[in-house]
Amino acid sequence: MENAIEIKELTKYYGSLLAVDHVNFEVKDKEIFGLLGPNGAGKTTTIRMICGMLRPASGTAVVAGFDVAQKPQEVKRRIGLVPDISNLFGELSARVNLEFMGKLYGLDKKTRRERIDQVLELFQLKDRQNDLVKYYSKGMHRRLTIAAALIHQPEILVMDEPTSGLDAQTARLVREIIVDLNKEGRTVLLTTHQIEEADRLAQRVGIIDRGRLIALDTPEQIKKSTEGIRALEIEILNGTDQQRWIPIISKAEGVDNVFLAEGKIRILSKDLAQTIPTVINLVDKQGGKIENISVAQPTLEDAFISLTGKSIREEPASKEAYLKARLTRGGLR
Amino acid sequence: MKRLTLLMHSVWIAENDLRQSFKSVRHVVWSLLFPIFMMLTFSFRYGATGLDVEFIKTFLIPGIVGMTAMFGSINETMSIVWDKSLGVFDRILAAPVSSTSIIVGKTMSGAVMGVISALVLLIIGTTLFGVSFANISAVLLIVLLASFSFTGIGTIISGLASEPREAMMLSNLLRFPMMFLGGVFFSVEAMPMPLPYVARAMPLTYATEALRAIQIGNTAIVFVDAIVLLVYTVGTILLGSQILMKIMTR
Repeated sequence: MENAIEIKELTKYYGSLLAVDHVNFEVKDKEIFGLLGPNGAGKTTTIRMICGMLRPASGTAVVAGFDVAQKPQEVKRRIGLVPDISNLFGELSARVNLEFMGKLYGLDKKTRRERIDQVLELFQLKDRQNDLVKYYSKGMHRRLTIAAALIHQPEILVMDEPTSGLDAQTARLVREIIVDLNKEGRTVLLTTHQIEEADRLAQRVGIIDRGRLIALDTPEQIKKSTEGIRALEIEILNGTDQQRWIPIISKAEGVDNVFLAEGKIRILSKDLAQTIPTVINLVDKQGGKIENISVAQPTLEDAFISLTGKSIREEPASKEAYLKARLTRGGLR
Repeated sequence: MKRLTLLMHSVWIAENDLRQSFKSVRHVVWSLLFPIFMMLTFSFRYGATGLDVEFIKTFLIPGIVGMTAMFGSINETMSIVWDKSLGVFDRILAAPVSSTSIIVGKTMSGAVMGVISALVLLIIGTTLFGVSFANISAVLLIVLLASFSFTGIGTIISGLASEPREAMMLSNLLRFPMMFLGGVFFSVEAMPMPLPYVARAMPLTYATEALRAIQIGNTAIVFVDAIVLLVYTVGTILLGSQILMKIMTR
């Protein structure tokens, strides 16, 4: 099997709102595929359709050779879903939660016991296996959520924002787990709004925005596809509030995009030779002093911005985007 | 084999729900304290107005037992709306479980909770006031049918409500009028017009009437009320299932 997941022209409406707009992509067997996009872009809706939890308005999704619309149960048996929120039963212990999931996936008693021991060990939860899940920390919740998705040893792991809201240490641990699971031979489809995460983990990335897939390739190729775009990083002295320079610099001639990245002002331009002196002059005129200026390698975030014209860090601001985010992320309504 | 799997999924879903409900001791105690409190309060009230223990045994306790089945079942079905809002419903939806199994499982847990709660109150009533039922199987049948019909009502509410607070408000909108008009504390016949008609639209009225009729051995009334409760059960569960099915297969 070459492709673990194949989706064609997948479309979903929420009322009159087009949440997923004729999306096409395939996830190759045993690869890590990242679906990258801002909140409300349609990532969760797309994976819910892939997992057979939402019915598409049109289009098809084939998972492990089974059409989701025709054989949803076969698809569900082969997928382990890690949702963006920990949706375990808080009033029950980790062991009982895993026991319940094992039953739903049709595991017999002996297999259940073995697998539960195995995943509890793997995710270092054995010591707390009999504690009620509601008393778990965020990191433990996340590990248990992944453990629950692995109880039936699925060939495909679908993870929605796997490190969202986690502290740096736990996020790193979760990323290591994802890589290990992939090395074991599992296909991983993950959604993320973190460019670094997609860049670091995914072998291929699909960029989704406003329900449309706007780029699909390896992170390197996507970065290359923005050829012609150059990135410039500047730091302005005494500029504790670097943010205030963004609207000023954005007006300079030759500047395509400007945003803050890791505390530095990042400028995208097609013609750095012209842009550099213009920006220096502008900052000087406005009373600022450039402390550091350097030409930088294009990143996936640069690619995202040049493709969508906006930063992925933006939260949905419009009523429509809010509604869409609520519909896709808030579970069943 | 397929049917057995469907049934087992339902049993596990019901077991999981009940396990959660019983895990929280406070949840169980609070849900039972209310009918116990009502039973004791109205016993004193009736005692103070000169009504004897016989009235409490034959009128109040059967009514309280029916009311407790209502509270137990509807409370339990509120788990659906909590599951929806906390995303745990998604966990079940992502598993290879049919929508029918989910609905049957949720209905089973609601009905079982209704029956257990009612039986606890029956035991307390028997211990405190010496209530005796001539036909305990008939009591169980009525309590079971009533619990199923209340579960159906709870499922409709949980399916329609978008969040727990809305579900609680909707359920109170139905439970409290039912409690006061369903013949638990006051006889339906003694109510001014048009309240008896309103009362006759409520399943609790038939449950309390049947439980009282069992005590005096009036089989005809028990039979008719059982049929009405069965119709309620089928109607509400079908409607509740339709609503849930629509949510699950969006």
